[in-house]
Amino acid sequence: MSSNSFSCNVIGLGAWGDYCDSWGGLAELLKSNEVVPEKVAGPKPQIIPANERRRAPLPVRLAVESSWQASQMAKVDPKELSCVFVSGFGDTQLTDYMCKVLAGDSKELSPTKFHNSVHNAAAGYWTISTGCEKAANSVAGFENSVSVTLLEGMIQCVEENKPILLTFFDAPVSQVLTDIMGPGDSFACSIVIVPESFASQSDYTKKITATLELANCEWPALNVCSDVIKASYTNNPSARVIPLLELLVGESGSNTIELPLSEQTALSVRVD
Amino acid sequence: MDIRIVDYESTSAAGVNIATLREAIQTQSSGLRLNDFPGSPLNTWIGRVSEVDDIQLGPWQSRNNALAALGLEQGTIKETMARLIKRFSSARIGLVMGSSTSSIDRTETAYTELNQEGRLAESYQQPLVHNPSAPSLFVAHYIGITGPALTINTACSSSAKVFATATRWLNSGIVDAVLVGGVDTLCLSVLHGFDSLQLVSPNPCKPFDQNREGINLGEAAGYAVLMRPEDAETDLDLALSGYGESSDAYHMSHPHPDGLGAQLSMTQALTMSGLGASAIGYINLHGTSSRANDLIEGQLIERLFPKTTQCSSTKAWMGHTLGAAGITEGLIALDVLQTNIIPGSMNLDNLDEQLRLSIQAENKVAEVDHVMSNSFGFGGNNCTLLFSRVDNKDKGAV
Repeated sequence: MSSNSFSCNVIGLGAWGDYCDSWGGLAELLKSNEVVPEKVAGPKPQIIPANERRRAPLPVRLAVESSWQASQMAKVDPKELSCVFVSGFGDTQLTDYMCKVLAGDSKELSPTKFHNSVHNAAAGYWTISTGCEKAANSVAGFENSVSVTLLEGMIQCVEENKPILLTFFDAPVSQVLTDIMGPGDSFACSIVIVPESFASQSDYTKKITATLELANCEWPALNVCSDVIKASYTNNPSARVIPLLELLVGESGSNTIELPLSEQTALSVRVD
Repeated sequence: MDIRIVDYESTSAAGVNIATLREAIQTQSSGLRLNDFPGSPLNTWIGRVSEVDDIQLGPWQSRNNALAALGLEQGTIKETMARLIKRFSSARIGLVMGSSTSSIDRTETAYTELNQEGRLAESYQQPLVHNPSAPSLFVAHYIGITGPALTINTACSSSAKVFATATRWLNSGIVDAVLVGGVDTLCLSVLHGFDSLQLVSPNPCKPFDQNREGINLGEAAGYAVLMRPEDAETDLDLALSGYGESSDAYHMSHPHPDGLGAQLSMTQALTMSGLGASAIGYINLHGTSSRANDLIEGQLIERLFPKTTQCSSTKAWMGHTLGAAGITEGLIALDVLQTNIIPGSMNLDNLDEQLRLSIQAENKVAEVDHVMSNSFGFGGNNCTLLFSRVDNKDKGAV
């Protein structure tokens, strides 16, 4: 059988968080301790038509804005990108809304909030806003959301030989659920990966190789000292992509990291 | 493509396992009943699996996990998985689950019993349950799978897409077998959510009927064990021969008026299998019994397939089981390759006047080699599965 390693090229990145509004901004926070983090408001992605944007919940806006940035940097038309969206928590503000209404007597839900409550709302808004008719996936993997999505996306990229948009996003947790989920925060990151043979127009190319290993490991410690990044890494399941981002900005001191994937497997990721 | 199905099971209101489901199909016995779901006054019909009500799972408790467990207890799924874990090791087995509700039923209940400070009561402090990945966390625990595990939540296409992901994982070689599944349970969110969209029928659903009034919600669990053909030791001569995945790029809760995304997913599946439209002997339609879906899907089938292609919606047996519908109906289509009984579109009296399809209420007996199943979800998320009969006589099956 074929090997347990897959390689593809990263050609675009996007990000939005409580303290960054772009991949460039996030990269600065990862590279330097001198940067004083400044709080930014939630995104208002212009790609979403205005009437839809007003109804789009925060996790959707985070995901769509970050996806748009990554596709722009990659110089790939979003219509050409199959996509995998992942959120570890789901939209807990909508969960909270639905459960409160349903615990009451009327049980009358807003139809818009109901259809926005599906886990694939972000993938839906993204494909609708960009006219993308490609395969759109929406997945969850609890604490291993980032590693299992990397695996799923890279295998899809290699096996189906097509460019893939990966978007990791989670938002602050609704009050009732913080006891079991922690507070969360706003963090989204998107990565466009393409097969090595892909004719890329992007100014950015880094080869990543993922290898499935039989191993039990912990999430790695970060190299950054920025408190806001460290807090995000602790509180937001999607921010567990940060060790990979450190490799991409060259601040890791090594070119390989090992990420927990399941009880008995790990994903070793190398950047060249 | 050729990915073998070495075992499968289905649990729904129409039958707690595949054997009883077959019987229900043969006798055209519906599992739908007038809504009696606790706490919901809606005037509609539902496909409720009563056996779930009394299952206790301790810290894993949720209705969804209970149905997932009930499904795993059917047929030979547990034995098959134990054998594969012994043969390959648990870390070489993958798990891909599909669901739309995950365990939101448990969160709903937790909110009715918040403590005086408005926080989760102690018995509901279940981080592994109140999250969208709950189905794969629970099934991995229950079966003892320690390889890669993922939950796909793309609404009503969720557990169709699990077959696509499993195929890629198997073809890449990272695992030697994949347990795919789908599980969704009735809960207030879906009953009252679909009601808010005015999609719920006050009567038993009548897919493709001129007088259809909307959908009936149901609950189901389904599983299939997938392997590469060279590794599959099985007497079953069944393969996944194609899949298609696409997006409508149109609207969050309304299908594309021309069925554009659905067309893409069906043509992709055909292309992947190398089959022409005329090779398909039976299509299990998404057929929710909503005005929009059935008309658009029906018109699309007319355009893409010969007029003689047999098709039906089987939702009048167990209702629309949402995130579990993809695998439930995929397995009904697959089972036609075993039983040679093509399920009719139960409750169909008068076909929608705008449609010309080979669809009727009665079952038909026919030997077919290739079957298709469609699943379309909110967000315009589409998936088509294609299953084929294969010849496994020359590979030393045990």
